[in-house]
Amino acid sequence: MRRWPIAGVWWFVAGVWWLAAAGDGPEPRRPHFTDIASKSNFAYRTDNNFTGRKYFPQTMCGGVAAFDYDNDGRMDLFFTNGAKLPEMEKSDPRFYNCLLHNRGDGTFEDVTARAGVLGEDLGFSFGVAAGDYDNDGFEDLFVCNAGRNVLYHNNGNGTFTNVTERSGIGGKPKDVISVAAAWFDYDNDGKLDLIVSNYTEWTPRTDKICASNGREYYCHPKVYTNVAHRLYHNLGNGRFEDVTEASGFGKELGKGMGIAIADFNGDGYMDVFVANDTVRNFLFINQKNGTFKESGYEWGVAFDESGNAGSSMGADAKDYDNDGWPDIFYNNLKGQIWGLFHNIGGKYMSYASGVSRVSRLSVRSSGWSNGFVDYNNDGWKDLYSANGEIDNMGEISRQPDTMFENVDGKEFRDVSSQLGADFSHAGFQRGSAFVDLNNDGFMDLVVTSLDEKPRILMNSADNGNHWLLVETIGRRSNRDGVGAVLKLTTGSGRTLYNHVTTSDGFMSSSDKRVHFGLGTEKAIASLEIRWPSGIVQTLKKVRADRILTVTEPAP
Amino acid sequence: MCLAMILLAPGVGAQQPQAGDADSAIRAYRAYLDAHPESVEARSNLGAALARAGRYEEAIAEYDQALSKSPENPALLLNLGLAYYKTGRPAEAAAQFERAASLAPQFKDQVTLLLASCYNSLGRYKQAIALLSPFEAPKSADQAFDYLYGTALIGDGQDAAGAAVIDRILSRGDSAEARLLRSTLKMRANDHDGAQADVEKAIALNERLPGAHARLGELLLGVGDAERARTAFGQELALDPDQFTANLNMGVLAKQDQEYAAARHYFERALKTRPNDPGVRYQLANVDLATGNAEQARKALEALIGESPDFAEAHASLATVYYRLGRSADGDRERAIAQKLIDQRDAAVAGGKPR
Repeated sequence: MRRWPIAGVWWFVAGVWWLAAAGDGPEPRRPHFTDIASKSNFAYRTDNNFTGRKYFPQTMCGGVAAFDYDNDGRMDLFFTNGAKLPEMEKSDPRFYNCLLHNRGDGTFEDVTARAGVLGEDLGFSFGVAAGDYDNDGFEDLFVCNAGRNVLYHNNGNGTFTNVTERSGIGGKPKDVISVAAAWFDYDNDGKLDLIVSNYTEWTPRTDKICASNGREYYCHPKVYTNVAHRLYHNLGNGRFEDVTEASGFGKELGKGMGIAIADFNGDGYMDVFVANDTVRNFLFINQKNGTFKESGYEWGVAFDESGNAGSSMGADAKDYDNDGWPDIFYNNLKGQIWGLFHNIGGKYMSYASGVSRVSRLSVRSSGWSNGFVDYNNDGWKDLYSANGEIDNMGEISRQPDTMFENVDGKEFRDVSSQLGADFSHAGFQRGSAFVDLNNDGFMDLVVTSLDEKPRILMNSADNGNHWLLVETIGRRSNRDGVGAVLKLTTGSGRTLYNHVTTSDGFMSSSDKRVHFGLGTEKAIASLEIRWPSGIVQTLKKVRADRILTVTEPAP
Repeated sequence: MCLAMILLAPGVGAQQPQAGDADSAIRAYRAYLDAHPESVEARSNLGAALARAGRYEEAIAEYDQALSKSPENPALLLNLGLAYYKTGRPAEAAAQFERAASLAPQFKDQVTLLLASCYNSLGRYKQAIALLSPFEAPKSADQAFDYLYGTALIGDGQDAAGAAVIDRILSRGDSAEARLLRSTLKMRANDHDGAQADVEKAIALNERLPGAHARLGELLLGVGDAERARTAFGQELALDPDQFTANLNMGVLAKQDQEYAAARHYFERALKTRPNDPGVRYQLANVDLATGNAEQARKALEALIGESPDFAEAHASLATVYYRLGRSADGDRERAIAQKLIDQRDAAVAGGKPR
């Protein structure tokens, strides 16, 4: 395993950590996380321009994308930022977005200006989605904003070009704020399309002031209108068509937050789950003809089990029990219950927050970005959540993140306090990405917090478990391979499932390489890849503990 | 508290055995009834002796039997009402009290507070106010009256009038009841910390104050402290196994944990206190759906919607039930109704509280 040469103090701390953990008896060895952000020289802080006046969108700031923009084999980081309010301008460098180049030695270089992605002409930025929309082998960026959205084309030479106008992807109804986006190929034509989660109509002029007992607070979302999410079809040649109405997305009005992409019914077409804040959640099932049917009621994921539309925030869809069907995890605010829904054979979802103990574990936290991540490489995807209150009114408004460890795909236990002081940092956490920054096969975390530098949390990767990272390169399918479903069978016959997507959590975009923890097993009997094109590729006797690049076979 | 005071009120005791301990009285009345089974008076006295021994279900059976022979007997109705009241069945108790008072106006005084307490338990605050308001002036120094009246006013949303009653109680000194009432007002005004401080003080003043632990549980749930909330609801149920709020919330917590048998137990217990409560019936229907009894859930939700057609969540659940049963057209219809109701409700929200 490769590690960065910063391990002196790190390993000493880790040694102490393991001595403590060993005293706990049968508890498994757990990696922990160390924040290395301070080792790099960059100015970015998540700045929502909070000056006392509470503008509605200030709570949502600090999207993050993990992607390899220069194809050097190391994942880089991009952060979005706020704007001066009420002017809604990035009038000061402190509001600029930020691109950090991974030097491979545990430090990052701020290359934002050189790359041309400062975003100085943008308003308040929220989410970001990374994806190679033109199949040229370089990851592009879509940034969601209050004001116009922006598409940056990766020129392949370390710079980006704003192609929003000529792409046709910038249009949206006036004053709509877009908060998250996801790349996926909904018609399996080999080109990545884009779904954008919109929250409401808002401008500084229409901002409402809400107060109680003389104290201003962030208004309840219900004082703002619901809006449609938008779907853009990739026509090729760098052009997109807004198919929101034709696809059926335009019929459903919500307050979009996180987006999760998966083929929930196993028909070979990608479906879309959108977590809505205080509005029922949407599950758009792909009808395979360019349209979607909103099926949240049918699938039982529109509401929680008591029929309440909670403040759904981040969302992810992965298979947490390795039964071959992607499940759904969304988080919400303190006092509500985070939603874990178990996919019943691609027919509907069963509420699983109770039996999995997520209900008891989650009720005290206000979650934002989130996702399934196998942080300890035991083959079971755990539940991560970036937490922090909406407002700063209570004593415990700052909150630490949580990691609920998956126990045999059946239930979860809270191991947050055992993952190190840097993991337990209390703040107003917002965006997060899962990424293997040092290519050691253990997933690291990058987390933004309001008014703070982001944390770049390196996984100590020291429990001895094995792993495989798969980079998919589509040929007939989209080049990123987004939507490809992977089934890994270990030497002992254990089957693990995952799929290619960069969309998880809230406002964020994660490492597109597909991660498998293998536990103590080193042998992989087979790896089956079902590509979006329909091609099924099977690799036998794959060596573990490496990054495997798989190219889709020629048709 | 008002209940204890009322049970010891003169007049009611006239219906109770005259001497000896309850067990020997019960034996004596039973022996007498073996020889004289038609004696209404003996059966009434047996019921009273059983009630005094805490054997309320047996007492109810005796009163019922006596009433079958003397259906217009107000004393019997009053005692039957008291037995229902003590077993946490305010709906049945209220029915008996209402009938007793209509048959014997002289019982009205004794019945008023009991009946108001029942109405408050049932959430029928307007009826409680109508019953109590004529007595506000003559009973303005009566702590039990003030508490019931304040509860009804605040329950009905008449916060200013409720606050005046609280002030009146507190002018006589600190009071657990007043603190509990004030916590309701503070909770409504989004002053969570103030509400919790008041209810904790109420418990410190009187740890057996009905409803105080349940209120604390609600406040703790509101800040996500489910574990302490569970403890608080448990303490309430230890005092009164039939307390509505505690049973409802314990049911919801059990349902969240997917402990459906326990959830059903609590919900059914809550229904005992407030029969036909739409919220509890809705929760029970969702338990049916979650445990695979879609057909049972359908029946329950259809009945519920028949009585409460604006219950948006019930329409939403029924939509899912229909889809689950393969009745897509019905599901689409219910979904549209649910959405319309939710939209209407959302449109009425002025955003008046923090999240």
